[in-house]
Amino acid sequence: MAGVELRNLRKSFGKVEVLKGLDLKVEDGEFVALVGPSGCGKSTLLRILAGLEEETAGDVLIGGEVVNDLSPRERNIAMVFQSYALYPHMTVAENMGFNLKISSKPKAEIKARVQETAEILDLVHLLDRKPSQLSGGQRQRVAMGRALVRNPDVFLFDEPLSNLDAKLRVQMREEIKRLHHKVRTTKIYVTHDQIEAMTLADRVVILDRGIIQQVGTPTELYRNPANAFVAGFIGSPAMNFLPGMLQSDSDTARIELEDGSVLTAPRKPNHPRDGKVLLGLRPEHIMLGEGTGTSNALTGRIDLIEPTGAQNHLRIKLGGQSTTVVDNNLTEVELGQNVAVHVDPDKIHIFEAGNTA
Amino acid sequence: MSITGSQIDGVAVATAPAARKRRLSKSLKKRLIPWLFISPFIILFLTFTLFPMLFSVYLSVHEWNPVAGLSSMEYVGLANYQLTLTDPWLWQSLYNTVWLAVVSGVPQHLLAIPVAYLLVTGLRGGLRHFYTAFMFIPYITSTVAVSLIFFSIYSANSGILNQMLLGLSDMPVFSWFFSWVPDVMPIRWLTSSDLLKPSIAMVVIWKYTGFNIVVYSAGFLTVSRDLYDAARVDGCNRWQQFWHVALPMIRPFVFFAVTLTIIGNLQLFEEPFVLTQAQSGGVAQAGLTASYYLYLVGWQWLEMGSAAAISWILFLFIAIATSVHFYFNGRKGLGEDR
Ligand SMILES: Nc1ncnc2c1ncn2[C@@H]1O[C@H](COP(=O)(O)OP(=O)(O)O)[C@@H](O)[C@H]1O
Ligand SMILES: [Mg+2]
Repeated sequence: MAGVELRNLRKSFGKVEVLKGLDLKVEDGEFVALVGPSGCGKSTLLRILAGLEEETAGDVLIGGEVVNDLSPRERNIAMVFQSYALYPHMTVAENMGFNLKISSKPKAEIKARVQETAEILDLVHLLDRKPSQLSGGQRQRVAMGRALVRNPDVFLFDEPLSNLDAKLRVQMREEIKRLHHKVRTTKIYVTHDQIEAMTLADRVVILDRGIIQQVGTPTELYRNPANAFVAGFIGSPAMNFLPGMLQSDSDTARIELEDGSVLTAPRKPNHPRDGKVLLGLRPEHIMLGEGTGTSNALTGRIDLIEPTGAQNHLRIKLGGQSTTVVDNNLTEVELGQNVAVHVDPDKIHIFEAGNTA
Repeated sequence: MSITGSQIDGVAVATAPAARKRRLSKSLKKRLIPWLFISPFIILFLTFTLFPMLFSVYLSVHEWNPVAGLSSMEYVGLANYQLTLTDPWLWQSLYNTVWLAVVSGVPQHLLAIPVAYLLVTGLRGGLRHFYTAFMFIPYITSTVAVSLIFFSIYSANSGILNQMLLGLSDMPVFSWFFSWVPDVMPIRWLTSSDLLKPSIAMVVIWKYTGFNIVVYSAGFLTVSRDLYDAARVDGCNRWQQFWHVALPMIRPFVFFAVTLTIIGNLQLFEEPFVLTQAQSGGVAQAGLTASYYLYLVGWQWLEMGSAAAISWILFLFIAIATSVHFYFNGRKGLGEDR
């Protein structure tokens, strides 16, 4: 077991700089999810950690030691690939035991450890099959087993669930979480799916354009996003952004929206300077109805109603913008109807204008 | 519409014979047209494949000197086969064929597989294409031309090979290894029964290794980078990546290339023919391959019947060799174990 640390890590492919100086500390036994849009350099970062790709500058530390010059073999990390990368010519058992075989472990030990891991992952009845004879979910589990059987210092996952269907994805997500409680090895988990990251990880790292945008627990990221990108990336349905003008004094921030309506919120130190800003409203924080004693009342026309069963997703024109609203009370509303909504002043986010997801 | 149609039908049935004839010819036409479309193949197949095959079966049970015309054909039963099977030259030629097939076949693959692997894993696209194309040149060069050039290279007194060996025996460091050279000069590469077969094998290896490199390059290119990455994470060094991952992955390509080598090498003709100057298989028939022998019997000795019998024996021989190869390597080779 070992922690992982990045120090000013940079990576360029030719002239294109993909990672622009990352600093990150992952504690021993921690489960960290790395999220970001496709192409932001997540796989590249993981490959550098694994030793498959060389960093352009900076240091990678595993267990407190700089491993920049160590081969993948010497780093004792295991990786689950997005494509699973199972060896087609080997059986499940051979796939899982391959690392042990390469490390010249005795046959009996290999057999015992493969068996043990197969039991954890419910793969025992598949041990003699070839990967081509397995379903997607089974292949995924073999890929996990191959990593697990080695007893590595660090686990790396590169979008391991992205090739599965929605139902299996949820199932495997739970299984990975359960596994982490059993095997408390440091895990770095790459995904572009923020729900996966939020549900699995102790801490989430948001990566965009080669820069770490924010690091924090799922709740921290949801409550206090550092910028509009993080705010838009975390949470589902995504946060609404409304352009407005900020005017603030020492304890209140007053935002005038494009249609002239005004919202107020308590002034917070991370608020931008007065002027053009982006107002962030989470769909689940916009309530139908007048509210009580709050000054943050707005009205708008309902453009779309999407029932999802437990909630209704509404599109309401607010402050000149089409805005998503989640209604947990399943209020009876009609298309085209004008409704009143209200927002708790504490739930209002204010960001600098001009940079969203 | 349908009413008028059936009325016309009714009339047609009533005015019997002429219309029935017309309808018959129509359906005949319908059945003939598909045959017409595939007739080019059928005609070519009958003329150039089936007829010669049947004719050679027919020939193999006759005695025939083609110079004396078709009328000189004489039925002899299985005598051609009996005669051939007791001819020591046949057995000599089969031995030579197998020897050459193995000695010139195995190194082709032992060379081509690692070279292709290095080309694919070590070089970028452009440079790799250049090298691959370069090594493919021997394959597309006329075998006769290649053999003629090697004939002069191998020449005992003026050949560049012997000159080079002599030169090396004079050079400072190499002289230690090549000091024996002057004592055995001139080395008769093509006119001693010991050296003839290896000399022929060298030419064959030189000519066909490039082709196998192309086949194996294509094979290694099908192995996804993820598999190599997975192997590296699993702790493989470059050799282990090759041995445990890349090589098993290209098994179908090895199978294909080895099959072609078996079939090709058992029919070896031009290289030994040119290198022995068409002189009955060279010194002590050391360069007499089965095809070469077949040629001698047919065109030198003008015994077409025996030649036909030999060709069937050779066919059987190749078929057995290939079947054995398929039996032992087929399942894995064709990737059916995946
Ligand atoms: N070997 C490579 N050569 C050149 N560019 C690369 C290479 N690998 C990745 N890239 C580029 O780096 C960027 C990040 O890629 P990647 O790490 O795969 O993104 P992600 O996994 O976040 O989707 C992409 O723009 C990609 O085109
Ligand atoms: Mg990726």
